[in-house]
Amino acid sequence: MDTLILVSLALPLLLALLVALPRSRAVALALAPGAPLPALVLALAAREPLLFELPDVLTGLQLGVDDTGRVFLLFTSLIWLAAGWYARGWLADDPRRARFAVFFLLTQAGNLGACLALDAAGFYAFYALMSFAAYGLVAHDNNAVARRAGRVYLVLAVAGEMLILSGLLLALGLAPDHPWAVACLLLGFGVKVGLPLLHVSLPLAYAAAPAPAAAVLAGAMIKAGLLGWLRFLPLGDAALPDAGQILMLAGGAAIVGGSVIGLMQRQPGAILAYSSVAQMGHFALGVGAGLVAPELWPLIAAALVVYAAHHALAKAALFLGLGVVARHGASFIHLAGLALPALALAGAPFSSGMLAKLGLKDALAPLPAPWADVLPVLLAVGVLGTALLMARFLVRVREAPTAGGAPASLWAPWLLMLAGVAGMTAGLAPSASWTAALQPGVLLYALWPILAALVLTVIALRLRLRAPQIPAGDLLVPFERLLATLARRLAHLRPPALPTLPTHAARRPPRLESRLRAWPLAGALWLALLAGFIVLLAR
Amino acid sequence: MIADTWLPVAVVLSSLVPGLFIFFLAESRVRLRTTLNLVGAFAKLALIGVMLWGVLHDHEYVFTHTVLPGLDLVLKADALAMLFVTLSAVLWLFTTLYAIGYLEGAPNRSRFFGFFSLCVTATVGVAMAGNLFTFFLFYELLTLATYPLVVHRGTEKALRAGHIYLAYTLGGGALLLIGTVWLYGLAGQVDFAPGGTLSTLPPDTAGQLQIIFLLLIAGVGVKAALVPLHGWLPLAMVAPAPVSALLHAVAVVKAGAFGIVRIVYEVYGIEFAQSLSLLLPLAIVASITILWGSLRALFQDDLKRRLAYSTVSQVAYIVLGVTLFGPVGTIGGIVHLVHQGIMKITLFFCAGNYAETLGIHKVSEMDGVGRRMPWTTLAFTIGAFGMIGVPPLAGFISKWYLGLGALEAGMPWVLAVLAVSSLLNAAYFLPILHRAWFRPPPETWPHEHIPLRRGWETAPLLLLPPMATAAATLIVGLFAASAFSPLDWATLIAGREYLQWTP
Repeated sequence: MDTLILVSLALPLLLALLVALPRSRAVALALAPGAPLPALVLALAAREPLLFELPDVLTGLQLGVDDTGRVFLLFTSLIWLAAGWYARGWLADDPRRARFAVFFLLTQAGNLGACLALDAAGFYAFYALMSFAAYGLVAHDNNAVARRAGRVYLVLAVAGEMLILSGLLLALGLAPDHPWAVACLLLGFGVKVGLPLLHVSLPLAYAAAPAPAAAVLAGAMIKAGLLGWLRFLPLGDAALPDAGQILMLAGGAAIVGGSVIGLMQRQPGAILAYSSVAQMGHFALGVGAGLVAPELWPLIAAALVVYAAHHALAKAALFLGLGVVARHGASFIHLAGLALPALALAGAPFSSGMLAKLGLKDALAPLPAPWADVLPVLLAVGVLGTALLMARFLVRVREAPTAGGAPASLWAPWLLMLAGVAGMTAGLAPSASWTAALQPGVLLYALWPILAALVLTVIALRLRLRAPQIPAGDLLVPFERLLATLARRLAHLRPPALPTLPTHAARRPPRLESRLRAWPLAGALWLALLAGFIVLLAR
Repeated sequence: MIADTWLPVAVVLSSLVPGLFIFFLAESRVRLRTTLNLVGAFAKLALIGVMLWGVLHDHEYVFTHTVLPGLDLVLKADALAMLFVTLSAVLWLFTTLYAIGYLEGAPNRSRFFGFFSLCVTATVGVAMAGNLFTFFLFYELLTLATYPLVVHRGTEKALRAGHIYLAYTLGGGALLLIGTVWLYGLAGQVDFAPGGTLSTLPPDTAGQLQIIFLLLIAGVGVKAALVPLHGWLPLAMVAPAPVSALLHAVAVVKAGAFGIVRIVYEVYGIEFAQSLSLLLPLAIVASITILWGSLRALFQDDLKRRLAYSTVSQVAYIVLGVTLFGPVGTIGGIVHLVHQGIMKITLFFCAGNYAETLGIHKVSEMDGVGRRMPWTTLAFTIGAFGMIGVPPLAGFISKWYLGLGALEAGMPWVLAVLAVSSLLNAAYFLPILHRAWFRPPPETWPHEHIPLRRGWETAPLLLLPPMATAAATLIVGLFAASAFSPLDWATLIAGREYLQWTP
């Protein structure tokens, strides 16, 4: 098992190296899709928690698989497997596919490593590898859109890295529940999770990245941020009501705001991105609740892990399907394939989404006063919002232009992903919740948002209602404008220069300087200094 | 044992003697000169290996020569000295190899390599100096030995930079001398000893000791390029690339930082310095330097100038670590002495490769250079990420310990300095990497000297040293917790420095 852990991490790195070297490139490119296989095998085979220590590496690296890590590793490796397979078809004609493969494999190693690392420095190392290498995925297309997306992504990612590092150091050096440590970790990982205001890179990146990259970004990597929260926040140990309440408010804002702004998007990729913001708001809600009421955390944690697996697989399947439609057109069968994960996300009866949402709702139910009243409404809004977003997504996908491209085998990996959506959450969920979920009342509860969304969408289409538009990245746009104005204003201000010696000494030897240079004075000063030393010595 | 006293001297002589010979060699004796250089470099490494083993087992190598009664020339190989000696000897070897490739066919090579050897001799002397007097001697020798290297090209710009360099460093030397003499008047000969020796002085000398500290730190702070004493460093980058590499990574800047380490830990003693409230002001100066250097680096288009300002910032990390009261901060500062050296030398080697191979001197000319010179650019990428502090590279380990040390010392604001500085580092390094890897290359390079030959993107002697130091950047970071890593050695040093006052 220890070897398998090492192989899971070494294989993507090794393949990245081999793709980079011209001689081995062809072979390595052919093998690249299989890179996450060892990790998948590990996730399936590890029945017991594993711990493998490498005391010489970094500050003492600890790798392993615990209950949470196992689920994350399972869906992460599955998504990377499908996406890697898919990427081979998607980029078959791309002259830069080798470069894409290098970044893809490096990001993958980072993402899998983040699932496996159990110590702070190790987690941070893999997380950083993932964040930085993903720039190559976002900016791959190298047009103006991709470059802007890459820039925004990178700026936020670097800022997030610094916050995470500070947060980890504060947690280790002071205390895990120190308010600053918690704040830094919440915000730092929040960049990846897409907390409101930190979410602006998501719509740009998901729309700009090639389809397989968008799938891993939206499915797997976004969850690494959540895993960071789960691993390093003092969840279940300490009650931090202030931080928890703020995080829950942020989650609520993400659920409502993500749904509303998402409905005003035209690009299918951006709609999915805002849906991710809304979905990730549920995690903020859950983690915030864990900070408010530590005694509820074990239940909430279990619900969140199921939710994470569900959302990861469904979102990845949606992005892969979006690519299939973009290449091969919106045929009925393609739309049916897209509808499956869309329904799952909306929490349709018998779907993974229904289980996940019910689990979260039950886990959050015992929360104290204001939340006990607010949460059911908020969650219902979230479910309706998601259903509407999915409906809009399916509408927009049909209308979006088909780029067309070489016929390639995108089908098989997409089917793998869809099978994952159908099968995995059922396998994970405790059977008791299944039987509870099959009550007629519960089924009805799961069904109404979908019906409502359906009705509303049909009405909107009939009446040709047009949603007002907000550009993808919402607040980013005025912010960029502000920056541009500032830059123009500042352009003619030169960066301030400290008065340093060279400018004075070199440009004009001042009078004092030339006087000091005269031999008599210099000699006298020297003698005076010498005398001074002798006096000091003689004391 | 005789070897115990003469080994430190032999380490100094192993570069001094070849250097003196080289001065008298004709320009054309390339092979003999190369042989002398390499024999010297390997002999030094071998001697250091022996001493490392001894020092690890609590053995001390001390050489004492009485110049005047009460004034001794002392060379001592303690743990701290060995860290710096090893760093300079290893990087000297790489830089020598690089310089041989870099200067192939250039004029005045005997002069160059002669002074190059003298420069390393002085650095090793600075490292092993056992008292302030010896330190001062080698410190001034270093100034004089590096001047001819800075002005090596002989252009007007180089000469001007050389003048300014001398003005700064001799001025710094004068301050150091005043401080040393004043201290001699107070305390007699001050030997370097773990925990410092000044705490035994009568309490009424505290005021004087504070002024002396200021003088000494200002003196060595010139070479360490603490703001506002840093003006010479960005100008000195007119020197040939191997000189810049040595200047920024090993010799001059590092000697200054090392001086601060010695003065704080082994003259005053960290606890005594803390009780005189000398550490906080120094920490503030270091923080300003860190931010100022990074900020200025942002605005430089000239690659070597950008790297020079980055050095200003990065060397101050060492000073910052020194001022963090507690063993973890000490480890962070001392280990960065090594880490910064390895990373910065990589970056300067790469900058030299771009200039020598393609005539690229500016960041704005680096579009697509990753395709033409992938290996050099890979090394540059590793160095740059190391500087930003991305794990698992060397710079991350430094930052990790500095951050924890700051918290241990009760100075959490240092974390903000580190974070902002890392952001600025990212802001001036990542655009370079974007250009190099993602932009399309131009039709023609500014001035292509070395064409692609049999798969070699540039001359092998130019390519292999940065590859080796880049690999080292990765290895010392990745295996930081293993035995014999720089981190391990820094921990050993910190243990010995804090032995005196175990809380």
